[in-house]
Amino acid sequence: MFLLAADASNPMSVQILPLATAVVVALVTVIVLSLFVWPTIAKGLDERNEKILGEIKAAEDARAHAKAAQEEFERKLIQAQQDADTMIKEARAQAQKAADDLRARSEAELAELKKRANAEMDAARRQAVAELEAHAAELAVSVASKILGRAIDAKDQKALVEQSIKEFASTGR
Amino acid sequence: MTTLLLAAGDNPLGHVLDRDSALSIEGTRLTLSMISLVVGALVCITVLMMAARRIKTGPSSEGNARFVTKGRIAQVIEVIVLGLRDQMLVPVMGERLAKAWLPLLLSLFFFILTLNLFGLIPFADVQEMLHAMMGQHEQAAHDAAHAAPAQVFFGGTATASLSVTLGLAAISFCAIWWQSFRDLGVKGTLEHLCGGHDLVHGPIGLWAVIPIIFVVEIGGMFIKPAALAIRLLANMVAGHTLMAVLFSFGAMVLKAGGPTWAAGSITLVAGIFAVLITFLELFVAFLQAFIFMFLTAVFISLMAHEDHGHEEHAHDHGHGGHGHVGHGHAEPAPAH
Repeated sequence: MFLLAADASNPMSVQILPLATAVVVALVTVIVLSLFVWPTIAKGLDERNEKILGEIKAAEDARAHAKAAQEEFERKLIQAQQDADTMIKEARAQAQKAADDLRARSEAELAELKKRANAEMDAARRQAVAELEAHAAELAVSVASKILGRAIDAKDQKALVEQSIKEFASTGR
Repeated sequence: MTTLLLAAGDNPLGHVLDRDSALSIEGTRLTLSMISLVVGALVCITVLMMAARRIKTGPSSEGNARFVTKGRIAQVIEVIVLGLRDQMLVPVMGERLAKAWLPLLLSLFFFILTLNLFGLIPFADVQEMLHAMMGQHEQAAHDAAHAAPAQVFFGGTATASLSVTLGLAAISFCAIWWQSFRDLGVKGTLEHLCGGHDLVHGPIGLWAVIPIIFVVEIGGMFIKPAALAIRLLANMVAGHTLMAVLFSFGAMVLKAGGPTWAAGSITLVAGIFAVLITFLELFVAFLQAFIFMFLTAVFISLMAHEDHGHEEHAHDHGHGGHGHVGHGHAEPAPAH
């Protein structure tokens, strides 16, 4: 099938010298490239691959970190809003309580003042009535003495006073 | 020049097949393919070394820019290396085998690619033209007519020579069997050649098929690399022959006594087609380099212990008991 002679016009001819040259040159090329080219290229590609993977991982970590920070921020914001609402409610309750206390105390004081004023008014009235009764008795005694022309002893005076008082009471009230 | 064209119209294969160069060493005439091999290797090594320097990570003073590959050629080479490694070789061979054989496979790919691309540049034809233009028409015409231009130093497609492609296939052959002996050992390799561990240690009634399998496997030992060589040769020769035929149409018209304007018109049309075919040839140059490298990788992985693709192996024990990696893989159909 193959012609091992140097027959240039036959494409299927095989010549030993070119064949050996092809083997030797190809082997030398493979050896040189394996020693000086492929390790360098493989190292460069691997380093770039590691760099890209590292950058992607760092970006993913940063994104996860940012997401966690955002979630923490939102959680704290919600917590702060809840705290603020609670504080406002407590303040309102305290203010309401203080107002209620103040109003109750004012009402109590007012009631006390009213009660005290009523008592003082009653006492004043009773004192006035007593003074009026005494004065009326004296006046009645005086008038009666003048009418009767004589001094009125204690027994008469007592009877007269009681009578005057009864009359005064029946007419004066 | 006309004489040269007329001579070129005789035999288009004369521009495609390997021939003697004007160079010789101690009386031994070198062929164009031998010169192309050496020049191609030098160019391949030089370009890849320059690319490696540009792909390499720079000093830390450059910051993130140290990871950026500088230069278009280096970037293209980087993309090719990454694609072949991550998309082709690692899925087919597995991490362990791919790491071990990557230098050889990538070197074969780029070396063959360089030789194929060199074939697209008409170095030899330019030298012939220059030689003719320098006033040596008669000698050049005689050389062209006899397909042995003594004044051509370098050119042609090295991979359009069966000697070269067989040499490259011999390296693949050695790699395939080196992998077999390393992974399976002598006993395992022999068992593989006899149909596998299960068959050899299986029922005695099945031993009758062992000789048949042995013959087939032994034939396959040589057929696989021979197919690599012939596929590469055929594609390179076919494309370049088509180009040469297209360019020879004008010369044929002149030789048949046709008018010059007719020869010029035909040459113009043929030239347009030749440009289109050149783009196809460019694609074929990459494709054939890839196929040679990829099939070598597949054949190597067929001879390895399985360290990936367990699912496939679980469904296919028919080829042997050593868990060869290729049991679950369908060999890719030879393209082009």
